[in-house]
Amino acid sequence: MEHLFVSFPGPFPIQAMYGKIGFYTVTLLIGFGFGYMLEIGGFAKSEKLAAQFYLTDMTVFKVMFSAIVVAMVLVFGAAALGGLDYNRVFVNETYLWPGIVGGLIMGVGFVIGGY
Amino acid sequence: MTVTAKKKKPAPYANPYAAGALLGVVLFAAFFLTGSGLGASGALQRYIAAIQDFISPNSVNQNAYLLKYAGGDREPLDNWLVYMSIGIVAGGFVSAWIHGRLSFTTGKGPRISVRTRWLMAFLGGIIMGYGARFARGCTSGQGLSGGTVLSVGSWAFLLAVFAGAYAVAYFFRRLWI
Repeated sequence: MEHLFVSFPGPFPIQAMYGKIGFYTVTLLIGFGFGYMLEIGGFAKSEKLAAQFYLTDMTVFKVMFSAIVVAMVLVFGAAALGGLDYNRVFVNETYLWPGIVGGLIMGVGFVIGGY
Repeated sequence: MTVTAKKKKPAPYANPYAAGALLGVVLFAAFFLTGSGLGASGALQRYIAAIQDFISPNSVNQNAYLLKYAGGDREPLDNWLVYMSIGIVAGGFVSAWIHGRLSFTTGKGPRISVRTRWLMAFLGGIIMGYGARFARGCTSGQGLSGGTVLSVGSWAFLLAVFAGAYAVAYFFRRLWI
């Protein structure tokens, strides 16, 4: 069971395999899925998003955190089974205070702008 | 299906947990296939660099930050994030189309004018753009993607976004409720 897919783990060097056009096509399709899932969740509607901050509609919390939890389980599950080489996965470096200050600023912009 | 039902009624939104789970699968697919998660503000930053490089290349040449993306033989739009952003818009559009939710409307609270809403959307966008660059990412790249791979900074950022929003929501309630 361990290292089930070790012979061909992700992530894949798509640009080296299929060139720039191949790589951009893959990222465009991933973006398509991203936009589609956001829309079915109601993220294209600013009143719905802003309602999160008046506690009348908790969609933002529900969608964002269920997405993170599902992706997290899949990423670490795949890594544990050898299907994903975690050393080649991009992990955002921590810049604690810039992250906190930038996050606070973004939160203010979120309430004013609605998205 | 009645004959009188000519105009398609907008379909209700998906269950938020189901939409979130599907979004999580897309997020995983991004990591599995490319090694990076999802991103949105990085593309906007590149659009800005491209526009500034087009209008005023000299100002780009004097800006160390913008020079990382534009100027010389660097092509700011030659980047996967730009293509992802095109996909995001296309995906949202197609979903709204399929579900009968396509329309020209200004989403706003009942107490403000359309004009105010647009001004506030623009102002909020400026603030969010500034915050996103300050934090090296937005709710997609830093929040969703960094949160998934358990980056400490990303979780601090994510909590700060909600803290910042809740802290000021009361003062902007007229915009929404």
